[in-house]
Amino acid sequence: MSDTAAGPVAAWRAANLRRATLSLIGGALLLVSFSADVATGPAMLPISAVVRSLAGLGADPMLDAIVHNLRLPIALMAVVVGATLGVSGAIMQTVLNNPLASSYTLGISAGAGFGAALAILVGGELPLPENWAIPLAAFVFAGVACAIVGSVGRMRGATPELLILAGIACLFLFQALLSLLQFLASPEALQQIVFWLFGSLLRASMGKTAIVAGVLAVALPLLLKDAWRLTALKLGDERARALGVHVNGLRLRAFVVVSLLTGAAVAFVGTIGFIGLVAPHIARMMVGEDQRHMLPASAVFGALLLSLASLASKLIMPGTVFPIGIITALIGVPFFGWLVLTTGRVQ
Amino acid sequence: MSNSRGTIGRRSLLLAAAAALAARGARGEEGIVDALGRLIALKAPAQRIVLGFNYEEYTAVAGPAGWDRVVGFSKALWSGWRPSIYARYLVPIPRLAELTDVGNTEDNNFSLERVLSLRPDLVVMAEWSFKVLAEPVRQLEALGIPVMVIDYNAEIPKRHVASTIALGKATGNAERARNLASLYTNKMADIARRVGDAVIRPKAYVELGQGGADTIGNTYWKGMWGRLLEFAGAENIAAGRLPGAGAWGPLNPEYVIAANPDAIFIAGSSWVGRPDAVLTGFGADIATTRARLAPYAKRQGWSELTAIRDGQLFAIEHGLCRALFDYTATYFIAKQLYPDRFSDIDPVAELRRYHEQFLPVKFEGCWMARLAPERA
Repeated sequence: MSDTAAGPVAAWRAANLRRATLSLIGGALLLVSFSADVATGPAMLPISAVVRSLAGLGADPMLDAIVHNLRLPIALMAVVVGATLGVSGAIMQTVLNNPLASSYTLGISAGAGFGAALAILVGGELPLPENWAIPLAAFVFAGVACAIVGSVGRMRGATPELLILAGIACLFLFQALLSLLQFLASPEALQQIVFWLFGSLLRASMGKTAIVAGVLAVALPLLLKDAWRLTALKLGDERARALGVHVNGLRLRAFVVVSLLTGAAVAFVGTIGFIGLVAPHIARMMVGEDQRHMLPASAVFGALLLSLASLASKLIMPGTVFPIGIITALIGVPFFGWLVLTTGRVQ
Repeated sequence: MSNSRGTIGRRSLLLAAAAALAARGARGEEGIVDALGRLIALKAPAQRIVLGFNYEEYTAVAGPAGWDRVVGFSKALWSGWRPSIYARYLVPIPRLAELTDVGNTEDNNFSLERVLSLRPDLVVMAEWSFKVLAEPVRQLEALGIPVMVIDYNAEIPKRHVASTIALGKATGNAERARNLASLYTNKMADIARRVGDAVIRPKAYVELGQGGADTIGNTYWKGMWGRLLEFAGAENIAAGRLPGAGAWGPLNPEYVIAANPDAIFIAGSSWVGRPDAVLTGFGADIATTRARLAPYAKRQGWSELTAIRDGQLFAIEHGLCRALFDYTATYFIAKQLYPDRFSDIDPVAELRRYHEQFLPVKFEGCWMARLAPERA
C-alpha cells in the first residue's frame, strides 16, 4: 500500500494531520452553527444587538433576557446534548460491535421516556417542582433500564449478542409500560407526554445545561482512559483478550458510563433520535476507528448535528418552533440511508 | 305559576348584586385581582397587552377599540379553532390580521422570545396555559411584566366574574366589565332558581361533534360542558367515568347506551378540514346543522335511546362552553330538560341580545338547534 512507499512514520504523521484538520473543520463549523443559532429567533433581533448583549454591553433588559435567558441556554444545550449523544452512541457501537447500536437499542431512552411519563402522570403529588421531577424521573429510569441490561450481562457474561437481546427486551418492556401510562393518562397529561417524547430544547436553562455538561466532562475522560482497550475491542473479543483486555468488565464499565450520559442528555430535552446513531458514523468516516480520536470527533459532530437541527427548527416555519426530534430524524434518516448505501458499495 | 314571583325574585336579586358590586367598586379601583386570586401589579390601564385566549370576552369588555392595546395573541386558538367566528371579528377589528402570533401551549409552540420582543406591559393568559408555563411566567415577572390569569374554562362562576372584572380594570373598562359580570351573575342565579328544587334530574350527555358520528368524541365532566350540565340541573352520565382529572375524554359507546340519557347535546363548530363535523356558528344555516347532526341518531343502538325517541338530540356551538355568554347555552340545555320551567326563555334571543349589547358583530347563523324529530 502507499504506507510502505512513504514510510510508516510519514503515513502516521499524514493521518494525524488529516485528523487534526478534519476535527478543526468540524469545530469551526460547530462555532458557526452555534453563533447562527444564537443570532436567530422569532424576535428578529439585529445581529449587532445580539453581539452587544453577549458582550455585556446591552442596556435593554428585554433584549438581554431574550439573548441570555432564552437563546443562549437553548444553543448551548443543543451543543452539549449533541456531544453527549454522539459520545454515548460511539461507545455503544464500539462495545456492542454493532453499527446500529445507540441508546435507543438498549432501551435506555425508552426507560427515560417511561420515567418522564410517570412523573407527568403523578405530577402534583411529587415533592419536587415538575420542572425538575420529570428530568429526575427520566434519569432514574434510564438508570433502571441500564441496570436491567447490565445485570443480565453480569449474570451470563457480557457478550454483545446477550446485551443487545437484553436491551431489546428492555426496550419492549418500557415501551409497553409507557403505552400503559398513556392509556391511563388524562388527555392533558397525555398531550404533555407526547410533547415530551417529541423532544424539545425549549426546556433548556443554564442550570440544566451545566448539569449535562458536567456529566459529559466527567464521563469523557473516564472513557478516554479506556480508549486503547476500546479500540482493541473492535478487533473482536478474542483478540482483545489476547491483548490483555478484560473484555466483560470493560464492556460493563463503558455501558454504565454511557447510561449516565444518555440519561442526563435525554432527561432534560426528551428523546431526540438519530444523533447517537449518525454522529459516530460520521466521526468514524472522518478520523477512523481509533477511539482516542473517534470519541472527541463523535462529540464534535453530534454537537454540530444537533446545533444545525436547532437552527433548522427555527427556520423551517419562522415563528413556530418545529419539534427538534422530528427534524433530527428527518435529517438523520436520508443521511443514514446514504451512509448505508455508500459503505455497502465500498465493501 | 311561579312566574310573577320569579320576576320579583330576579329583580331583587339583580339589585342586590348590583349594589354589592358597586360597593366593591367604590372601595378600591386600584387593585386588580385575577381569576386565581393573584394580585396584578398594574398601575394604569395596560397599553401593550399580549392576550392568550378568550378573545370574545376581551372584545365584550374592551370593545373593538380595546384591540388597539393588544400587541400579540395566540392566533391559532381563534383563527384555527373557530374560523367562522374569527372571520366575523376580522371585519370590525382589521388589526387582527396583522397582530403578531405568539404561539400557544396547546400546540407546544408558545414563544416567550416573541412575547418579549413585543415589549408588553401585561400578559393575559388562560389558566390552562398558565399552569404549564411556570418557567416563562417566572421570567416575565422577573422582568417586571405582570401575568394576569383569566379562566372561563373551569366554568366556576366566581372565576368568570373575576376574569371579567380583571379584564375591565386592566383595559380601563371597569364600568362595562361590572355590567357584564352582573349580567352573567344574574342570569346564572335565574337558572339556579328555576332548576333548584327539581327532584328528578334528567340524564344528559354531551359529546364533541368534531369528527362526525363515526368518531366517538370527547365528553366533559369537571369543566366546560360538564359544569354547564350541572348548572342546568342535569345528571351528567359522564360523572365519575372519565380518567385522570376527569375534565374531558371519550366514554365507552356501550356505556352511553346503557346509561340511556334523556337528552343528548352534540357540540359543533366551524372547524376547518372536518367535513363530518356538526356545523354551527355564524356561517351555519339550520338545514346544514341538522343534516350533520342526523347521522348521530342512526348510531349503533341509539335509535332505542330515550333521548332519540323523544327527539331530544341537539346541536350546540362548542364555543359557548367556556365563555362569558355561556349562560345562553346553559339556558338552552336547561330549557330542553325542564321545558315548563323555561317556557318564557328564548336562549337564542338571549345570545342575540348579548351580541347586540356587547359585541361588534351581528348575530346570525345557527348556534343551537334541535334535530327535528322524525314523525311517521
